[in-house]
Amino acid sequence: MGTLTPLESEVSRLIVETLNLPDMRAEEIDPDAPLFGQGLGLDSIDALELALAISRTYGFQLRSDDAENTRIFASLRALSQHIGHRRTI
Amino acid sequence: MLGLLLSDAARVVAWRRGRPIDSRTFCGDVARIARSLPERTYVLNVCEDRYAFTVAFLASLLKGQTNLLPPARISGICEEIASDFPDSYCLSDNPLADLNMEQVSLALSDEVSSPAAGFPEIDSDHVAAIAFTSGSTGRARPNIKRWGSLEMGARLAQRRFGLHCETTPTLFATVPPQHMYGLETSVLLPLVCGLPVYAGRPFFPDDIRTALAEVSRPRVLITTPVHLRACAEACLEWPPVELVISSTAPLSTALAARIEQVMRTRVFEIYGFSEAGSIASRRTLDGDHWLLYDGLSLSAVNGDLFVQGGHIPAAVPLSDVVECLEDGRFRLLGRSSDMVNVAGKRASLGDLTQKLVAIEGVQDGAFILPPSRGGAVTRLAAVVVAPRLGERGILNALAKRIDPVFLPRPLRKVASLPRNETGKLGREALLALLESAEHRR
Repeated sequence: MGTLTPLESEVSRLIVETLNLPDMRAEEIDPDAPLFGQGLGLDSIDALELALAISRTYGFQLRSDDAENTRIFASLRALSQHIGHRRTI
Repeated sequence: MLGLLLSDAARVVAWRRGRPIDSRTFCGDVARIARSLPERTYVLNVCEDRYAFTVAFLASLLKGQTNLLPPARISGICEEIASDFPDSYCLSDNPLADLNMEQVSLALSDEVSSPAAGFPEIDSDHVAAIAFTSGSTGRARPNIKRWGSLEMGARLAQRRFGLHCETTPTLFATVPPQHMYGLETSVLLPLVCGLPVYAGRPFFPDDIRTALAEVSRPRVLITTPVHLRACAEACLEWPPVELVISSTAPLSTALAARIEQVMRTRVFEIYGFSEAGSIASRRTLDGDHWLLYDGLSLSAVNGDLFVQGGHIPAAVPLSDVVECLEDGRFRLLGRSSDMVNVAGKRASLGDLTQKLVAIEGVQDGAFILPPSRGGAVTRLAAVVVAPRLGERGILNALAKRIDPVFLPRPLRKVASLPRNETGKLGREALLALLESAEHRR
């Protein structure tokens, strides 16, 4: 897998720390793998926890009807791009 | 009931995509969809949009069909249910991928339907729905819900919470319509009692806030402790909500107080379970006494407690341990050891274990509920004996057959399980095994 951008590394650490995922280290998350279902295997409870961590760290609220939203959880890369666009902190 | 719907053509039945849908449109949609459905006994109604679900629900009832309600929108689960009910098809507004059975797409159009000529009444004995719960045998257990019982349950809730169509409180829900709690409160209560319902299923706190702000007061929010905690922590400005109802797991008084403050509301809880439906309520801040719905009663037979009356024709055993008080009141004491609750979703450890050991290559295994760490959601753990399989592969196989919230964190491979001479596994021994497996990593 390719190298992570600084923001992707930061978001990767946020995911692992917020969700207390056993066995997963931030550097190991494949930036293009799905976050939900297959891939990292996150579920709806994780989505709520992540939304809270993102709002506290980056200062904006996640919404389901963001035009890109069907894609923002598609991968670490997609999520990091979304955060890059919408962050206020 | 259906006569009430038709007589007031302008009454708002639902709010969908920012617009009100009136009774005339709803009845036209129901009639049109009913004409398009295949001739089958059962329909797996997995519609996501609440309005679509309700149209599908009523349309299929008018065709004399029974709605099968899977515990999750997962293909493997739907196929398993269909294997027990072969004369069935799947109906959805958002088709399931990789589903190995007949699947019909429900499409609501924006065209104005011609007015419905009239609907026959639904027989109160008709089996309107079958709700599936996790049993301890590895196979989902069917819970029969007849139309008359569902109708009465809705009226009992209406009475308990004082919801009358004259004041048109709009109901918003974060729970799926397939779950008994969501079916009762966000499908039947609006349908039977003539209350408008929000068609979407808001998820993030900001989604919920936006949805509430779309419709004027009064507003009722039907949700769960998981969502209320997310809302409380999001630090948002909330529009006032007249009533918040929570269920599926106990709500702490601290969280109830916080929500009452930020939403300028009163928080009530419903206590119920799929086998019986909703049976009691309380205002969380008033204390730990629950009050049974009108007409219900608890009775003890050989030390086991049963609930009966109202919308429950035959006595149903309680799965929680309960202390009976006077005047229809009771206090909850605890849970039976096989049933677990993860973030409001209920499952049987025995059922989950069956599904684990059914995976090809798994020789033995067990699910465990570790002690709660307080605060965050406690996840299930599992140990497995599967020399030729990797943990990822086992998790992927499980994900096809169980709700994702029950996926074990962690899943640990071990050489063998600590069974005693009778083959039983003690919880303490399992926890010790799990801990030593953690230390070896």
